[in-house]
Amino acid sequence: MTVCAFPIKPDEEAMPLAFSPTTVPVVVDEAKCIADKGCTVCVEVCPLDVLRISDLTGKAYMKFDECWYCMPCEKDCPTGAVTVNIPYLLR
Amino acid sequence: MTAFDPFEVFGDIEEIGERLNDADAAVRRLAVIDLAETARADVLPHLLTAVADPDATVRLQLAIALSEFDAVEAAAGLARLAADQDLTVAQAAADSLAELKDPAAAESILPLVSHGRAFVRAAGFRGLKALRSRGALGPALAAMRDEDANVRAQALGVVAYLKLEETLPSLIAATLDADATVRSVAVNALSFTSQPAAAAAVTAALDDENWQVRSAAAESLGRIGQTSAVAGLTAGLSDAYWQVRQKCLNALGKLKAQSAVRQISALLTSDMASLRKESAAALGEIADPSSRDTLMAHIGDADPDVRKTVRWALTRLG
Amino acid sequence: MDNFVEGLSEVTCDVLVIGGGTAGPMAALKAKQKNPALNVVLLEKANVKRSGSICMGMDGLNNAVVPGYATPEQYTKEITIANAGIVDQAPVFKYASRCYDIIQELDRFGIRFQKNANGDFDLKKVHHLGTYVLPMPNGDTVKKALYRQIKRERILVSNRFMATRLVTAKDGKIAGAIAVNTRTAEFLVLRAKTVILCMGAAGRLGLPHSGYLFGTYENPTNSGDGYAMAYHAGAALANLECYQINPLIKDYNGPACAYVAGPFGAYTANSEGKRFIESDYWSGQMMQEFYNELQSGKGPVFLKLNHLHADTVGEIEEILHKVERPSRGRFHQARGTDYREKMIEMHISEIGFCSGHSASGVFVDEFARTTVPGLYAAGDMASVPHNYMLGAFTNGAVAGEHAAEVALEIDLPDFDSEFVKAERKRVLAPTRREDGIPPNQLEYKTRRLINDYLQPPKVTARMQIGQARLAEIRDDLETALVAGDAHELMRSLEVSSILDCADMAAHASLFRMESRWGLYHNRVDYPKKDDDNWFCHTLLRKVDGRLVSEKRPIQPYIVPIENEERTAYDRLRVSNQA
Repeated sequence: MTVCAFPIKPDEEAMPLAFSPTTVPVVVDEAKCIADKGCTVCVEVCPLDVLRISDLTGKAYMKFDECWYCMPCEKDCPTGAVTVNIPYLLR
Repeated sequence: MTAFDPFEVFGDIEEIGERLNDADAAVRRLAVIDLAETARADVLPHLLTAVADPDATVRLQLAIALSEFDAVEAAAGLARLAADQDLTVAQAAADSLAELKDPAAAESILPLVSHGRAFVRAAGFRGLKALRSRGALGPALAAMRDEDANVRAQALGVVAYLKLEETLPSLIAATLDADATVRSVAVNALSFTSQPAAAAAVTAALDDENWQVRSAAAESLGRIGQTSAVAGLTAGLSDAYWQVRQKCLNALGKLKAQSAVRQISALLTSDMASLRKESAAALGEIADPSSRDTLMAHIGDADPDVRKTVRWALTRLG
Repeated sequence: MDNFVEGLSEVTCDVLVIGGGTAGPMAALKAKQKNPALNVVLLEKANVKRSGSICMGMDGLNNAVVPGYATPEQYTKEITIANAGIVDQAPVFKYASRCYDIIQELDRFGIRFQKNANGDFDLKKVHHLGTYVLPMPNGDTVKKALYRQIKRERILVSNRFMATRLVTAKDGKIAGAIAVNTRTAEFLVLRAKTVILCMGAAGRLGLPHSGYLFGTYENPTNSGDGYAMAYHAGAALANLECYQINPLIKDYNGPACAYVAGPFGAYTANSEGKRFIESDYWSGQMMQEFYNELQSGKGPVFLKLNHLHADTVGEIEEILHKVERPSRGRFHQARGTDYREKMIEMHISEIGFCSGHSASGVFVDEFARTTVPGLYAAGDMASVPHNYMLGAFTNGAVAGEHAAEVALEIDLPDFDSEFVKAERKRVLAPTRREDGIPPNQLEYKTRRLINDYLQPPKVTARMQIGQARLAEIRDDLETALVAGDAHELMRSLEVSSILDCADMAAHASLFRMESRWGLYHNRVDYPKKDDDNWFCHTLLRKVDGRLVSEKRPIQPYIVPIENEERTAYDRLRVSNQA
């Protein structure tokens, strides 16, 4: 399962936040993704700005579950690494 | 507080160009994307060096990227990529060639139409079509007898876009082509003229074995506007496919075919609402006063679109 | 990325275009072409390459006025009648006269329209009255082609900046705008001689039935920021009670069929597979008929294609599943629904503001001028009714050309630095709090209340409760909203726009005490159309910090409409008992 990372503040005085796991619609095939070579195409084209490059893996991932399933990320990805699924609530 | 530049910058072209020599194909590929992003004509010399890249994915990216440049140099690069051994690259190049608008590009594309591979010949004609190049006419007319159906279809496209009466014999011949797509495009293409010979050929296509060709023929006859087609179109009202019957009704309306009013009226009782509607619309176009009672009988049709069309037709009758 | 960065820059330009979707790029291009010496800036919340409602393209033009198929007079008449007469015809006529030039220009840009074998535009007749539909089977090229032109003209593009407020000078003229970076929260002050708002519909107003915040008909980036900014700058907004509501595939945000599948023989049917829509045009009247059937014993409503030949369905799928909403095929595949086999369930969309589909927008005249000097609006957010994508292009061009001319004649207006300071404080407030409510929860609650209290059928007492509940949320927004990073700050600012639009929707709906435009303004306690008192526009604006609505007379028609014609449309619709 791909889970959307929820932005929990690291400091101690942070407000209390719940961790609600969410399966996200945009999935990235890390073997195909070339973000580690400097590619940012999917991040740039997303109208909702929900994709990011992971500091850990160097690959693209969906950070915010705010998807219009419009597909520029999938269509413009030069290596075919991105797949957009329909969000579960609509499926 | 720090100031910043809020505007998009596309980077240093020389620096990006250097990355085209990187050992890693993915880096070269990203360099192609970055160069194309600038949309500046002066990046073309850099980009075109990638035509000979050993990696197919880089050439593929180039074939896509060159569609950003409506320039003769881009056409030359695409012409080369359209003949690429990698079919994905060739397909992308063919698609990009079809985007070109500059008539000067024709010169770079023309050599493709005599290539040994059918795919390349078709890509050439497809690229030439929108350029409406007179220079392409001769090769296109010749290629309408090509052994490959797709080449014939694309060559036909080049001829059809030019809309020249002198090409009628070739267009008419294409209505009898072995391939249904070619026949369909040919009957559509003949609608620019009102020559009786064209009308006759398209009317004959109403008996084609393929329903989509018959449907295209009916539509085309409505535009050609020759009343000589009325008999054929009336016969078409009993076609096995309702889609063809619908197009025949529409064409008969456009031709104001008074002689077909009885046969048209018969379709007002069809099971299919779409046909009843088209029939009422045709009667409205023809506006023959004798249709009034027939139309009045259907003013309460179960289908709202049919009712509306009947009411509209009645207003046409006055 | 997303961490807060302290930063402030100021830029100066002649023409500032806010919104890089459809109207915006065209406005910027035309301003630059009018005078290449002008400094033209295009500001965009996302990235111009793939922003706005047409980020994946468009499947066709709905309102192409092409010589030989329709005339500007005929089109103006039909829009006037379809919009229940509440139309200033000058901007509609201007659009209709200009749009064919724009189609030809778009064609030269490389945007692909359907052509016949001879290379001529291949228009389709969809409704009884005129032929206006030009399909775009390869309409996925729209944004790419526009972006290419923007780059070629060397227009300064500023991506990922969200405009928050307009700035006006002491004399009331427009002076520029303030924006914030959506990834760093850096501040950008843009001083300008003229500003063109092209910020799309207010499409994130109602909550979709699925409950998914971003499953809206409109691109959810179109959160009504333009409406809110125009309001706070003192501009008048017209006919906001004439909501946008669209017929959609149930649970999916794709439109149904009238313009795409209609010419192939598909139609909207009830559960018996029968047609029921009397109205010819996508209008409030048609939506009312749709709503009635949904609620009736013959409901729900379906898209019917299963009577078509499998090849024809394939051709339709090729368009519906590849252009504009390419995830549609994936949606049907996951559901196991196939157009060939059975009818597909449909439903109505959430409410929004959008003149592109209805008539609710920032008031503009035939030069795209708002009521604030130097401020223009175009596209879905400007009040030219039913103007769709081609209207956005055409009116964007009109705005760009006019703004360029005006920018030549005037000096840079004065700019109040105190206002910038105050706005910075307001915008960054959610980033200064340690504890409170995150924007997603505030947004969900706002939009849930919009559904509960503001969507039609509209009831006075219910809308008043809605106003009171929305006021409670406004308190939360001003005192408790928390943004943990720059991305959340963008969402926080969007919630603020959504709440402003909700207030405007309620206020405008309560003001017009009649029913008009079918479902869009169906007031159950004022069920009749009242031409004696309400044959007028309503204009809403901010006066002394409060919402104020007033009537505005309709400008004398330039294309006269005989009484006979006014009723002709109704007569075509009048139902006969079958």
